[in-house]
Amino acid sequence: MPLNESDKVAHLLRRAGFAARPEEIERGVARGLHALADEMVHFERVPDNLAPPPSDQYASFDFMTLLTQWWLQAMITTTRPLQEKMVLFWHGLFATSAQGVGDVRQMYLQNELFRGNFEPDNGQVSRPSPGNPFPVGNFRQMLLYLSKDPAMGYWLDNRLNRRLNDEVGSNENYARELLELFSLGVEDVVAKIPNYTEQDVRQASRALTGWSVRPADPTRPGDYPRMFQFDAAQHDLGPYTVLGVTFRGSGEQLFDIIVRHRNPGQTQSACGRFLGYRLFTFFGYDDPEPEIINALADVFDGRNGEQRYSVRNMLKAIFTPGNLVSEAFYSERAFRAHVKSPTEVLVSAFRLLRPSGLGEGSDASLQLALRRMGQALFFPPDVSGWKEGLNWINTTFMLARYNFAHDLMLNRASETSIDVAGLVRQQNLQTPEQVVDYFGRLLLQTPLSPFMRTTLIQYLRSNTYGPFDPTHQRTIDNKIRGLIYLIMATPEFQLS
Amino acid sequence: MSRTTRREFIKRSGFTMLTVGVGLSAFPRYLQMAASSSLTRAAALSQNDRILVVIQLAGGNDGLNTVIPISGTLNGIYRDRRPTLAVPEASILPIGRDAAGHQLGFHPHLSRLRTLFNQGRVAVIQSVGYDNPSRSHFRSMDIWHTANPNQIETFGWLGDTLDLTSPGSHNPLLAVAVTGDRLPLSLAARRTAVPVVASIEDYRLRVTNRLYPADEPIRIQTLLALNREAAPERTLYEKIRLTALDAYTSSQLLQERADQNYQNDPTVVYPSNNPLAGAMKQAAQIIASDLGTKILYVMLDGFDTHQGQLDRAVNHPLLLRYLDEAVWAFYQDMRRLGRDHQVLMMTWSEFGRKLPENGNHGTDHGASAPQFVIGTRVNGFNQGRSTGIFGEHPSLTDLYSEDDTKHAIDFRSLYATILERWLEVSAREILGGRFEIMNFIA
Repeated sequence: MPLNESDKVAHLLRRAGFAARPEEIERGVARGLHALADEMVHFERVPDNLAPPPSDQYASFDFMTLLTQWWLQAMITTTRPLQEKMVLFWHGLFATSAQGVGDVRQMYLQNELFRGNFEPDNGQVSRPSPGNPFPVGNFRQMLLYLSKDPAMGYWLDNRLNRRLNDEVGSNENYARELLELFSLGVEDVVAKIPNYTEQDVRQASRALTGWSVRPADPTRPGDYPRMFQFDAAQHDLGPYTVLGVTFRGSGEQLFDIIVRHRNPGQTQSACGRFLGYRLFTFFGYDDPEPEIINALADVFDGRNGEQRYSVRNMLKAIFTPGNLVSEAFYSERAFRAHVKSPTEVLVSAFRLLRPSGLGEGSDASLQLALRRMGQALFFPPDVSGWKEGLNWINTTFMLARYNFAHDLMLNRASETSIDVAGLVRQQNLQTPEQVVDYFGRLLLQTPLSPFMRTTLIQYLRSNTYGPFDPTHQRTIDNKIRGLIYLIMATPEFQLS
Repeated sequence: MSRTTRREFIKRSGFTMLTVGVGLSAFPRYLQMAASSSLTRAAALSQNDRILVVIQLAGGNDGLNTVIPISGTLNGIYRDRRPTLAVPEASILPIGRDAAGHQLGFHPHLSRLRTLFNQGRVAVIQSVGYDNPSRSHFRSMDIWHTANPNQIETFGWLGDTLDLTSPGSHNPLLAVAVTGDRLPLSLAARRTAVPVVASIEDYRLRVTNRLYPADEPIRIQTLLALNREAAPERTLYEKIRLTALDAYTSSQLLQERADQNYQNDPTVVYPSNNPLAGAMKQAAQIIASDLGTKILYVMLDGFDTHQGQLDRAVNHPLLLRYLDEAVWAFYQDMRRLGRDHQVLMMTWSEFGRKLPENGNHGTDHGASAPQFVIGTRVNGFNQGRSTGIFGEHPSLTDLYSEDDTKHAIDFRSLYATILERWLEVSAREILGGRFEIMNFIA
């Protein structure tokens, strides 16, 4: 059974953003899917409502708690859902951990870099920063900016990479991951043949010698290494040969070679396929068909005369109805068949339930909940980022997901409060059936199965503390909060 | 000692209280079992009572600084290629000569491991690797996890072992990954679900509303009922649902048994600032709980030492100390519990490091490396009969062009020996080929 318009709208809101609220679905249906997709992809037409960042007066692991809260708040309240979703995408793809940087404040800069607000050449944050290609611009430029990012310079040691000999730079760590994890992958995603050799890694490391991070300025109190520095004395002038192309003098050409690289006999670029695969698995479903990957790679390659290397064009292909890729995105196979990441679990719950007191003071409970569910933002497990899909599901993570719902609804220890009584009044909910139907639809955006509906109504009717009475605090705090917890503690709530 | 039968457990945890009108069909995995099946039947299904503990050293352990040549040509080349990283000769802990006559020793931070070595409890397996080595962490890890260098599979070698030895087992704790977050691919199985535990203490479902405690039973029953509603045509949904039920069952079992069966002992100290020791203590508690667990998996991360290998906050010597302390404490704990004959530990790492140090006092990704097998039943050092060292230290002149030591022992030989000689299952069936069986298990 193909999806109806309302399902498609909810699907788009959930995937290109974090959640689909009832009034957002209504509005999307009224405007039409096409207009909604266009609106989401051109998010810069709406003013950004980012709160001021946490003070960087001092850096400590408290700063990481504040930064995590700040970013979660951005995701929960943003007027530009796809922008924040893309920041999350880049964080997972260019996975950098606060545990391996020179100063944790560099993680804030990187987060703003991914939003398009940071200039590594001068260390300044401005919103937006002209010239910065993130979050949906030119991918070749993104690789250049990424290679100058101070957090990355520390995380993968390239700040130390200096001229050594004609084989290799003094540190091949970044050059390797640039090819393996950030742009091409070990193998061509479609052709399944090696994309590069060990020789290519070593030569690429030579091209990036001297790409360093400027040390903190000792005359400025509180300064930290926050900008790119090219160290000519440590730079190897080449010639270097990477992916069959010989060049010399500057590392910049490396990024052209990477984005253009095509394996023998292949129509699409290896990088276009890699990025197409990563984007579609993030927004659509796992193991996409080669035609889908190739169609996205064609967009990347500018095969039909479009601007080359444009991430925005790839997103348009995924979300705008009427092409092969979006056909797959809006298919039954994709519908409610994406395992929410822990960040999506948390942010969707908050966007739907609208709690107050979010992230007040130095409340680290959200950060802790995310860590327990397996996605400590700013602390990916390693440079390959988080493994998604069913890798989010194991016994420890399931307990953590259900316990997050418990802490949110039933445990008064957290500083976050949800006005359940207000919701009940505002929606004029009087009977157990009305309560179950309203919260079921709010949280799952789909009719409950008859079994689930009956079971939940029975739960509300079982009077452990007197009869059901939605005007009574007892019913609100015990039963209705319990009900919201129970809906969140289902397999269905883990899917988007 | 009385064993909790599954039936009693199910009774006590309210599985049979059908107060919300759920038919028996909603209990596919838990109630359609023979009433006589006990938790330990899984252990009876496999041929013996032995337990394997796998220790993953993630990031690529620098084997050349772990088992070190002491004198002769090897030592000269080693010092020449590692001007700042070579371990001072006087501090190396000698362990004897390998088959080629090379004198070898352990890194000075492996003193407890050396004590175990001298007691004949450690086998050193030299130059372990595979053909055409990948220098990608993730590809090479996957190759080790799946025991297949040619293509990446969905299931791991330990997962295949579980499926083969315990078909149809309903024991939710047949294997446990004490890794805290992700399930290692090694343990991904077709039919066996493997729980992941970070700490037994925190491994529980919270349902209480402190102001309304009487609501708890009905709330738990409702939660379980909702998670028992099957939708066979939806793969992801089913996987999530069954994992949630496994989480509930295994947490109930562990909470109950770990407390009963494991008491701390002043003679066994797991250092509190050592992450591997923390995980191995949980593993010891699970073994003591006697729930039929056959395989435990722990992990120590941080071996990707590209720079400042000696002076980063978490540096290579410190990681070796973690390994040393954790293995020692766990082994003493097993002896105290009278379980050491049942337990074998093995280490693995996705690759070693290159012979020459790089330009930043670190080492880049290499190929082969030595691994350890540890336990009471190891065919270890024994005056005149066994050196405890298997294979030879790799050549430091005959290298791959990227300056990597070559391998002499395929890692699947290590696996095959453990499968055949320790777990007593068909290595051929699991590894899909014949690999030389070694002689490191007595």
